[in-house]
Amino acid sequence: MNRTLWKTLALTLLLALLVSACAAPAPPAAQAPTAGGEEATMEEVTLNVIMEEVPDYDIVAKLTAQFEADNPNIKVVFDAMPYDAMRDKILTSFLAPTATYDIIIVDNPWMDEFGNAGYLTPLDDYIAATPDYNYEDFVGPLREIGEVGGKVMGVPYYNYALGLIVRQDVFDEKGVAVPTTLDDYLQTVKDLTDKENEFYGAAMQPQRGYKIFEEWKNWLYGAGGDLLDDQGNVIINNEAGVRALDMYIDAYNNAAPPNSLNWGFDEALRAMAAGQAATMLSYNWMLPTLNSPDGPAGDLAGNFQLYEVPGGKAVLGSWHWAIPHNASNKDAAWKFISWITSPSVDKERVIMGGAPIRTSVITDPEVWEKGFGEHYYTTVLSILEDAEPLARGDHAEEIIEVVGTELNAAVAGQKSSQQALDDAAKQVEEILAR
Amino acid sequence: MVTQRSRFPLAYRMLLPLAAVLLAVLVYPLVFSFWISLHDYQLTALQDVRFVGLRNYLELRGNGSFWNAMRNTLIFVFGAVTLETLLGFGLALLLHRPNRYRDFFRSILLTPMFITPIAVGLMFRFLLNQQLGVLPYLLGKLGVQIDFFGPGLALYSIILIDVWQWTPFMLLLLLAGLESLPAAPFEAARVDGASAWFTLRKVTLPLMKPVILVALIIRGLDAFKVFEYIFAITRGGPGESTESILYHIYKVGFRFFRLGEAAAMAYILILITMALVVVLYRAMRSAEELP
Repeated sequence: MNRTLWKTLALTLLLALLVSACAAPAPPAAQAPTAGGEEATMEEVTLNVIMEEVPDYDIVAKLTAQFEADNPNIKVVFDAMPYDAMRDKILTSFLAPTATYDIIIVDNPWMDEFGNAGYLTPLDDYIAATPDYNYEDFVGPLREIGEVGGKVMGVPYYNYALGLIVRQDVFDEKGVAVPTTLDDYLQTVKDLTDKENEFYGAAMQPQRGYKIFEEWKNWLYGAGGDLLDDQGNVIINNEAGVRALDMYIDAYNNAAPPNSLNWGFDEALRAMAAGQAATMLSYNWMLPTLNSPDGPAGDLAGNFQLYEVPGGKAVLGSWHWAIPHNASNKDAAWKFISWITSPSVDKERVIMGGAPIRTSVITDPEVWEKGFGEHYYTTVLSILEDAEPLARGDHAEEIIEVVGTELNAAVAGQKSSQQALDDAAKQVEEILAR
Repeated sequence: MVTQRSRFPLAYRMLLPLAAVLLAVLVYPLVFSFWISLHDYQLTALQDVRFVGLRNYLELRGNGSFWNAMRNTLIFVFGAVTLETLLGFGLALLLHRPNRYRDFFRSILLTPMFITPIAVGLMFRFLLNQQLGVLPYLLGKLGVQIDFFGPGLALYSIILIDVWQWTPFMLLLLLAGLESLPAAPFEAARVDGASAWFTLRKVTLPLMKPVILVALIIRGLDAFKVFEYIFAITRGGPGESTESILYHIYKVGFRFFRLGEAAAMAYILILITMALVVVLYRAMRSAEELP
């Protein structure tokens, strides 16, 4: 009786272990039927892909049916989720014995961190072995984000560079020129504000963290400042930085909708769509959304226009495709990535409304005609060519968070501009010294 | 066999599975996280884990954000739990009286407690939103402009959301306490002609003290874990004015992947909550010994 008890216990444990061990790996590969004798056997492969639930994902998902039809042995399964859930999921997948995801998308602040940690598969050999891939065709600043330590760790998926979106009808009606310098921009949005009629010059996104930094860094560039200088010293709190923040706060207090301190890009978009604001600094591909007759702007659709941010240099955001170091189907994963980013499929993707990444596609008259017109694409190209990400390096995510917290505190009136930027600079220096 | 059996009786052997489970899910993570807290342990640099002794703990002394989050959390816990206790007790007294609709009121009043907190957070985020919210709209009609999640007010708005959700919990506990009180002292008070206010102060409250303290401990410990409302609504902003301690630890550990520091913060949090529990527990013991 005594022994039976122990035996039963031990057996149960063993069984539990076995069950969990069997559950982990992907289902065993099945033999596909021989296709006309050309390929003797084709292994059936399932690619698990983590995605963010955004319009660009819908387009990729639609296009993928074509890929699956051309490659009957490869099945692509998308796991789409909100942004906040992605970073932990991707990291957990890196740390598992076999990756949960065969393909991941990497946001620009994570690229150096993941690449330097050895979590991503270098793609140089794959790129070299893919005929007609034309890697150099990706717009330079986007390409650079995916290159870590001299190796390509990711290829562009879509860009989210910032541009100036304006209500062209309002500017035309009042005979105001679209501002090209920061000083002009501040003056213009203040002049256009009509508080009595609840119309504001700028719908801003001063939300703590990524959002405010993403918007304000355009102001910083416009004032001639930057986060770091060429030697890597923190210069965010120099004269240009303080001037940029003072001007930003001036705009928030005098030209933005009241109580919008918590706004992100969706609230700003809503204000633009509702006809409450004349301008916003936002993702360039918000323009087609606003101008779409079925879009959020309703009757106002068609009145919006995209320009470069005042001062010219813009904040660049981008997502990249990458293959985890521990992925089990790397060849098939690259097959999919190289297909979706290939010049011909990318052209289709951009025509369907995807955010552009390739020069050849952006400058293609067929894309202009079937897409959103020449002005839009040429503006996007000039934005992309003079754009830089918020921060780089292993700790970009943290740098963005601490700077974004200090900026928000300054706009909230909890600190002076100088104090907030000094505090931000001190924390960034500490983070960089780690 | 006999000697072996007496040395290790069946009762202990029956406990083994539970002990094994507890060891696996409670003791092991605790010990492991303590080990992590003594190391420079970053999820993106696992090949370079170094022993740093107490450095992670000592560096917390100069970490303004951590102590600011701790301060926010203490204000939150104190504010929310006090309001919930007062409101809960008041409602419990009202519901304790015989009333035809008593069961109806009880079930209505308990509903907020059954909603998952993240949903409550999202609900209030939209309800109080400047563009979409009903409340700012109605207040706007009256000419009142309040930015519920603006600087200065945000933490208090979050306290009120917690009060909305968790007052029913206090109500439930305190009502159960009221119903289990002996009837004799109340009858004696009535016979002696004591006023309602006097009975409440001198009979109900002293008798209820142990129940109130237990309710305070349970609710207080739970309130320390505030995370969902902050995650759903403010993300700790404006500035750092609503950053709670758990949100801060989550940020350092799971967004910045610096698990060593996050584990040290978690251990400091455990120490502080344990100290508070001991104080309240002592108060409870002395309250029980009174009668």
